[in-house]
Amino acid sequence: MEEEFHHMQIDVRGEMCPYPAMKAREALKKLPSGERLELITDHAPALSTVPWEGAKLGFLSEIASKAPGEWVITLEKANAPIDQKQALTAIATRAAELAPDET
Amino acid sequence: MQAGATAVTASPRLPANTFTIAGALLFIVVAAVFTGQKDFELGAFWLIGIAFGVIVQRSRLCFAGAFRDLIMSGDGRLMRAIILGLAVTTLGFAMLMARFVPDPSFNVLPPGAHIQPVGIATIVGGVMFGIGMVLAGGCVSGTLWRMGEGYLNSWVAMGGILIGLWGASRTWDWWYDNDISKREATWLPTDLGLTVSILLTLGLLAVAYVAILWWELRSPRLPEPKAKPAPPAFTVRDHLRNSWNVVFGGRGWSYTAGALALGVLSIVAYNLQSPLGVTGGLALWADNAAKVANVGGLPLKGADLLAGCTSAAGGADWLTIRTTTMTGIVMGAFTASVLSGEFKVRFSRNAARYPQVLVGGAAMGYASVLAIGCTIGAFFSSIPSLALAGWIYAAGLAVGAFIGVQVIRRLP
Repeated sequence: MEEEFHHMQIDVRGEMCPYPAMKAREALKKLPSGERLELITDHAPALSTVPWEGAKLGFLSEIASKAPGEWVITLEKANAPIDQKQALTAIATRAAELAPDET
Repeated sequence: MQAGATAVTASPRLPANTFTIAGALLFIVVAAVFTGQKDFELGAFWLIGIAFGVIVQRSRLCFAGAFRDLIMSGDGRLMRAIILGLAVTTLGFAMLMARFVPDPSFNVLPPGAHIQPVGIATIVGGVMFGIGMVLAGGCVSGTLWRMGEGYLNSWVAMGGILIGLWGASRTWDWWYDNDISKREATWLPTDLGLTVSILLTLGLLAVAYVAILWWELRSPRLPEPKAKPAPPAFTVRDHLRNSWNVVFGGRGWSYTAGALALGVLSIVAYNLQSPLGVTGGLALWADNAAKVANVGGLPLKGADLLAGCTSAAGGADWLTIRTTTMTGIVMGAFTASVLSGEFKVRFSRNAARYPQVLVGGAAMGYASVLAIGCTIGAFFSSIPSLALAGWIYAAGLAVGAFIGVQVIRRLP
């Protein structure tokens, strides 16, 4: 159970815009320093909106696919300030790469 | 970790369900033949509904999001796309209306165009619809296409919409007698002439576009999702595969592509009979259901005389161009989401969301009767009809969305 102390998890599956990003923002604001936030979603647009909400608050993000059409977005406080324009480009590119494979 | 391009794990892909796809396509064809044999236009509007569903599913063209995101996060991408769609639709409708009514100064309105009376009901309807669509997470058409994509929340919202429509038909007489019947359906060309009305509409759209662009670019913005580059094509098969992927692959279409396609579809629909509209069909079904359950279901006073997205069915019970359009949207969105591997049954883990979307849906249903249409019938089809009502309704939607955003910020 050691893990429990190091990250907070929110499950926003079934929720569509704007809730994933809204809930991420709320959670990040009360996240104890040094902890990570894990957000579970099945709403594809959240793959860019949640990381961007994080970037605005100084958080870096990582996305892993959990099941078909389900993802875990992990957000962690950055050590240095984030360049917003660079972050935006990277987030949009990554979201496009995570889209379902082409047939 | 980096802000972006690290740790991309294997992309998920739902197994393409051949049986589901074949069944969906077969159903679309059979229903088109069945309705088309009853009446050509029923079948045509079923296919228009299918195209509607495919377009909005592939481009995620969310009218509620257009108003909400602009207010909530200063993101104007959706609204700007819709404005471009409105401009194209305006040009198409103008050509059709000029053919129907060569001289507007005789106070004749073009048949089929969505020119609603402008009154208190337009404003109350707009504000109420705006609040409802933000609470429900999508407008009426947005609810329909997300039902097709597998969002349970949207099915609950649809329950609310039907309740709201039923409630509105109970109180319709009061609104009709005290407001709607006394107001004029203002068509801009009656006073201004066609040319000035078209230029005025396009001018206002251009001003709105630039104003929104300026507003949103005060801080850095997420660019529109980019499409993956297509693999090189050497054979006919490669080319066809790449074309297929443009339509059904990857992240889908840009908002702009979706809005322009929807505008062209609305022009096609108007050329056949009437611009796109959604809630008239739902209102008819809500009314029919009420009749079956013996809790009302009167024909709405004066509805036959009103231009726009009404439930007036001309004696038909269940099948009208409005009902085939609205069922087509769900079916089109379902088919497109299965074909692109995005279909998934999704239900919210937050129980508070269900009553919220039910109430939002009911507000939208009620409001769409007052304003004689939703974001499609009374906005996307009304402004291009050169109707004053579309602009008043849009202002109401913006006010309502602003109130809605304040509400959802305080909800769990």
